[in-house]
Amino acid sequence: MSDALIARLRQAVIDAEPDDALALVRELLAADVAPTLILDGGLAKAMLILGEMWKSGEVFLPEVMAAAAVFTICNEEIEPVLLASADHKVGAKVLLATVKGDMHDLGKNMVAAMLKMAGFDVIDLGTDVSSAAIIEAVIRETPAVVGLSALLTTTMPEQRSVINALVAAGLRDSVKVLVGGAPATQEWADAIGADAYGQHAPDAVRAVKELVGVLD
Amino acid sequence: MGPQPTVRAPRTLGRRLAYNLLDATEIEATHQATLDVLEHTGVTVRSARILTLLAATDAIVDLERQLVKFPPSMVEAAIALAPSEYLLAAREPAFDMFLDRSRGYYCLEGGPSDIVDLASGKVRSPTSQDLIDATRLADSLNEISFLWPSVALSDVPPADQAAHQTYLQLANSTKHVVAMTTYNSRDARVVLELGAAVAGSAAALKARPVVSSFVCSISPLTWDGPPLESALEFAAAGVPCGVVCMPVSTAGAPTTLAGHVVIANAELLSGITILQTLYPGTPTYYCPFSAEMDLHSGNMDGAWGPGPVLFNLAMSQLGLRYGLPMSIGTNGTGAKTQDWQAGAQHALTLMGTLACGNVDLIASTGGIDNSRVFSLEQVLLDCELWDIAATLLDGVPFTEEYLAVSVINELGPGQHYLAHKHTRNHMRENWRARFFQSQTWQEWEELGRPDPRDAARKRAREVITTYVPEPLPDDVDREMRSIIDRYTTAGGSA
Repeated sequence: MSDALIARLRQAVIDAEPDDALALVRELLAADVAPTLILDGGLAKAMLILGEMWKSGEVFLPEVMAAAAVFTICNEEIEPVLLASADHKVGAKVLLATVKGDMHDLGKNMVAAMLKMAGFDVIDLGTDVSSAAIIEAVIRETPAVVGLSALLTTTMPEQRSVINALVAAGLRDSVKVLVGGAPATQEWADAIGADAYGQHAPDAVRAVKELVGVLD
Repeated sequence: MGPQPTVRAPRTLGRRLAYNLLDATEIEATHQATLDVLEHTGVTVRSARILTLLAATDAIVDLERQLVKFPPSMVEAAIALAPSEYLLAAREPAFDMFLDRSRGYYCLEGGPSDIVDLASGKVRSPTSQDLIDATRLADSLNEISFLWPSVALSDVPPADQAAHQTYLQLANSTKHVVAMTTYNSRDARVVLELGAAVAGSAAALKARPVVSSFVCSISPLTWDGPPLESALEFAAAGVPCGVVCMPVSTAGAPTTLAGHVVIANAELLSGITILQTLYPGTPTYYCPFSAEMDLHSGNMDGAWGPGPVLFNLAMSQLGLRYGLPMSIGTNGTGAKTQDWQAGAQHALTLMGTLACGNVDLIASTGGIDNSRVFSLEQVLLDCELWDIAATLLDGVPFTEEYLAVSVINELGPGQHYLAHKHTRNHMRENWRARFFQSQTWQEWEELGRPDPRDAARKRAREVITTYVPEPLPDDVDREMRSIIDRYTTAGGSA
């Protein structure tokens, strides 16, 4: 029975149907199905399948975004049970922020969705985030990667400020830094001492995978 | 080398074609849809100061959520308050622009964070010298009537961009300058001071605004605080400030064209309503820019497909309905170099622009790679296309002299017109190419197979090494430098 339910859960995530997916997660939990099974066989597998469909051009980014949102809702439902079971494993943690002075977060949100699809644990600090807030979050969350986005040519230098702040706080060696956003380039990333540059959401996922040593 | 214009005079678009994409019912439905959004959803305004000011008006303000809703009557009243005609002045009066929908004016691209190096052909970070070169090139070209800051300056701190760009533009051209990087009140104040120095006084700047600005929303339906506060500085000074939006369909706006248009219209009307309610009569313009999202990667595609042309057609019909001065975008391209793709996309979007009726301000020339990269050669190539467009709209005389019956009868069958005085009298009125190539095949081979880019690059080099714009008077230049010094030492530099 649980196999059939998990298959339906996968389909609900792929179809981005939050109500159906959440009902199925609750049904599975009520039936005492192991939360790791629901997560791995249901949610994570669904995102993996969706990733293949995205690569082949069968689905587009908006469908990935919608499915990632359903994934997050379901994951929140499973998390307390999973933590209680002490049997969970998660992907590397990635902290994302749009830098201070910049309110443009569409690109960063796309990166968050694609990273979730790739199995990463994403913490999104939002927009207009100061260096100090990013430093605080790095200390608190100990992410493997910090991703910094900026759209404006006038806020882009803030990416450099964050890197300098990481150096000043003695944290630079503990975390990899990824930069992105319309005006950013590989040359810019090199110039400010970032570890990687993502041209767009899929490329950011490629870069994060390289930074944490995950092979496709 | 093709002909260069000998007379310095603005090359503008005259009588425009008008293709009515929307019928009257559809225009009205779109207007009502926009009013619905503004009344029931409203916009976010991230400025406590402006929220407080708006709370004292007919707007419904939720201070805590930073949300402003506009009753339809308030929006209609604001549209009526906005001047339908006004002057954007130039240091050189021949290049004054009167925004009354009778002429279309062309501008230099603004904001790219990279430039194609003229010598190496490689992309690099621009410096102040690049802005000087681009501004001088634009000053030399009749096709360009006004200037955006063509590149972001990598040798100037971000917080001082607006001041330095505005100074360099005013000092290197006599044309109208748009300070498009005024992101806060401090930026606005220094730009206004620099403008007043050129105009003679703050009052003279109001009468003849040689600089103006614009403010851009964040889609969907959001106004960031500091940029909107900078717009109020311009409004308070009586200096024009356009209202701009740039929704990316599918991402920051609905994926349907009509929904994209509603978001854009709601953002523009909300900005215009805020400006006109707080500063009635402020000269402003209706400026819908757009882009599309690549469905696979999420990348932004600058406005170059048929979608953005249709968007411009619809938005220009709305702008005309409101009777507002208007600016629209043309020359989007995803091309990385000045190639077939850049040429085709620039030409086709420009042709779309011609069908948008009488839009006043048309942006822009010189951008490639979705306006991320600036190219001096592209400016010259774009101006060739603009010159063709302007010629198409100039119209042609069909009077007795031009019908040339007496010449035809005089020469009769089998003769040629080469040596006739009628030919010599009128042949220079015909359009001639500056950069399009038309040698014989053999000549082309012998010349090393040149393409228009080579000719444009050569011309760009000539201009930036030889062209000298009309300088600012010494005392004005000194005053402007001292304004910048004062401003940057007042804690401005990042």
